[in-house]
Amino acid sequence: MTLFTISVTIENKPGISDPEGETILNDLVLKGTYKTVSKIKTAKMLKFAIKEKDKTTAETKIRKICDDLRIYNPMVSKITINVI
Amino acid sequence: MSLERQELEDLKSKIGRDPTSTEVQIVAAEWSEHCSYKSSKKHLKMLPMTGPSVIFEKGYDSGVLDVGDGYVVTAHIESHNHPSAVEPYGGAATGVGGVIRDILSTGTRPIAIFNGLRFGNIEKDPQARWLFKNAVTGIADYGNCLGIPTIGGEVEFDECYSNYALVDVAAIGFGKKENLIKNHANKGDLVVLMGGSTGRDGIGGSQFASDSLETEDRSAVQIPDPFIEKLIIEAIMEARNLHLINAVKDLGGGGLSCAVSETADTMGIGIELDVDKVHTREPGMHPDEIMVSESQERMLIIIDKQKLKKLQDICKKFRVICSVIGHVTSGNLVHVKKGKKTFAKISAEIIANAQLLDRHSKKPAYLKSIQKEKKLDSITNYSKIMITLLSSPNIASKSWVYGQYDHEVGIRTVVKPGQDASVLRLDNGKFLSAKIDGNPKQCYINPREGAIGCFEEACRNVVCTGARPIGMLDHLQFGNPQDPEIFWTFLESLKGITDFAKFFQIPCIGGKVSLYNETSLGPIKPTPIIGVLGLIDNTPLIPKKINNSDCLVIIGNTKDELGGSEFYEYIHRFVGGNCPKVDFKESKRNMNSVLDIIKKGLIKVAHDCSKGGLAVAVSEICMTNKIGCKISLENVPGENLPPDRVLFSESHSRYLLVLDKKNLKPLENLLQKNKVSYNTIGRFEGNRIQFNVRKKSLIDLSVDKALKVWMNSLENLIIHG
Repeated sequence: MTLFTISVTIENKPGISDPEGETILNDLVLKGTYKTVSKIKTAKMLKFAIKEKDKTTAETKIRKICDDLRIYNPMVSKITINVI
Repeated sequence: MSLERQELEDLKSKIGRDPTSTEVQIVAAEWSEHCSYKSSKKHLKMLPMTGPSVIFEKGYDSGVLDVGDGYVVTAHIESHNHPSAVEPYGGAATGVGGVIRDILSTGTRPIAIFNGLRFGNIEKDPQARWLFKNAVTGIADYGNCLGIPTIGGEVEFDECYSNYALVDVAAIGFGKKENLIKNHANKGDLVVLMGGSTGRDGIGGSQFASDSLETEDRSAVQIPDPFIEKLIIEAIMEARNLHLINAVKDLGGGGLSCAVSETADTMGIGIELDVDKVHTREPGMHPDEIMVSESQERMLIIIDKQKLKKLQDICKKFRVICSVIGHVTSGNLVHVKKGKKTFAKISAEIIANAQLLDRHSKKPAYLKSIQKEKKLDSITNYSKIMITLLSSPNIASKSWVYGQYDHEVGIRTVVKPGQDASVLRLDNGKFLSAKIDGNPKQCYINPREGAIGCFEEACRNVVCTGARPIGMLDHLQFGNPQDPEIFWTFLESLKGITDFAKFFQIPCIGGKVSLYNETSLGPIKPTPIIGVLGLIDNTPLIPKKINNSDCLVIIGNTKDELGGSEFYEYIHRFVGGNCPKVDFKESKRNMNSVLDIIKKGLIKVAHDCSKGGLAVAVSEICMTNKIGCKISLENVPGENLPPDRVLFSESHSRYLLVLDKKNLKPLENLLQKNKVSYNTIGRFEGNRIQFNVRKKSLIDLSVDKALKVWMNSLENLIIHG
């Protein structure tokens, strides 16, 4: 068994609005001198430490946890899983 | 989105050609059940909608009541059931946003929010818990960010809402009569779209709400942004003060399509608009998508050309985007262009007036036997049953819910949530009391009497604060209307509500019909929700401290009516029995007497008997006042019934009054004069809740223990599952 660190990024699906990101962009970043920024998206990230026999099993297990326990709502958000 | 074949034929014959794809999208949005009320409209006309204080203007999205001294109160109710069932946080929050904008469209400031929430069995079903928890958080986050208090509502759980949610939101507005926006438009006026940008979210929402969840593709989710909503409120208020607005409409179900065609139709104007002028969130959106997108926080404004600059300045100040998307034309065509190319050109009258349907109705077969009583297990330990009932999610204190809502912001809330009805202070020295109520368990057993019961309960609740009912909102939620049995229950409920409203001369000032509420287990139980607004001219009854030896008086008869009661359904797991019926004359006598008594200042507390019956109502008074009470059940007026029925029957028109001994005589004189059935049934003392029958103890509970169970069980369920 190996210990894997896995990050799960939860963000709104493309096309769904992201008021927090838009607010940071319009009311903070673009108000300063950083005019080259065109988009900011907010997301939530969870870091899991999990002991499994290999990388694929660990990743599959984490995806199952996120789905089963409603860690995100698939209607609105998507998740990206990265093994670090 | 699409039209049914018959509807497409109908459209073709009306316009004399094949419609373009944009036209089909626009018409499909507007002809959906959600927007057109095609199944219900013919019948809704039976409701009384006029009265001495009702103010009507064309194109209003909310009802307006004159409350004297140059002030008006506005109110509206909406539901967001389908979206909340798939995304409870955003669905419930955007529901609040929608109803707030309906209030805004009359030119009044929203001052209070209510919500009625219904979910599946939260004790067993984690999905129901997830929906409940997130819907409450969504409402709290949205309302709290806006600075509008959420001052009341109701929460109920029933298996019929498994994997589903009913989220009803009502809002109240207040303003000066002279500031009401009188919708009008002249040729050449500009059409302005204000607020959030248009994106692909919520495309097809109105039609989505008109399909049962089993068949939808679950794509219509909307993201709430309360901060834009707040800016829109302030921008509209300022524009109103400067008399810049000729007409204004909220973009709700059906998006731009419905807002434009309904505005054009009600005002008898044409509107020409260019979708390229609409501020969009993402590039490359097709005109069809722009026309039916249900992106939130948007308002449509019609304004005189000369005043545009001022409106733009206001929008700039509040950092709200506004785009001139078109102008008013003569005739009544809705003309949608993209640049120079025409995508739709069709009469507003055709779009806004779907073919109304005559649905078949048939009395449901299940009703034949449902009122039959069943032999139930006899109860040996009533105290234990009482504790179980107090912990049942439908009866337990909802403080976990309203504790998350800011219910005091705006400093109008005089009587706060947790009482029968909340009370708001108005600027003219009067007070407004409001409550929403529903009871699907009773409506399932008897759709007519159940609906009347909800209406009476909402009235009783506002009466308990000393308010005279002046207006009502109805929200009729049923399953698929194509099923004649479901349509029959809809009609019965509607007839019941109409009869009660006419008898009590309470005008219906607004409402909503939500059909196709189906789950994988089948249709929901008939769920009409009634909101009642009451006006208090002098002072509201603010509950006072109860002391030892104060008396408990009950008004109204207790009957053998346990059908749909918590006692039958939660304790005995039995669905059926006698549905409580309201005797209109008795109801009126009792209501007027309680108002009289409150006016004369004879009582400390008034509380209505509803869910859980007399036993729960008395316990609630004891628990909230932390004082014991000794009740003699043999003194309860009404039929001679076994103790379980006296304790738990949910008969209507009953009120509990708490008063100082010295006021008992004048109270009795008044009640006798009014020929009201009443009796003194208890005395407050000590710290135990004791129900006795002829000196024999039936229930004996410490107030502390009862309070602990009642206060904490809902929260424990949510936190610990």
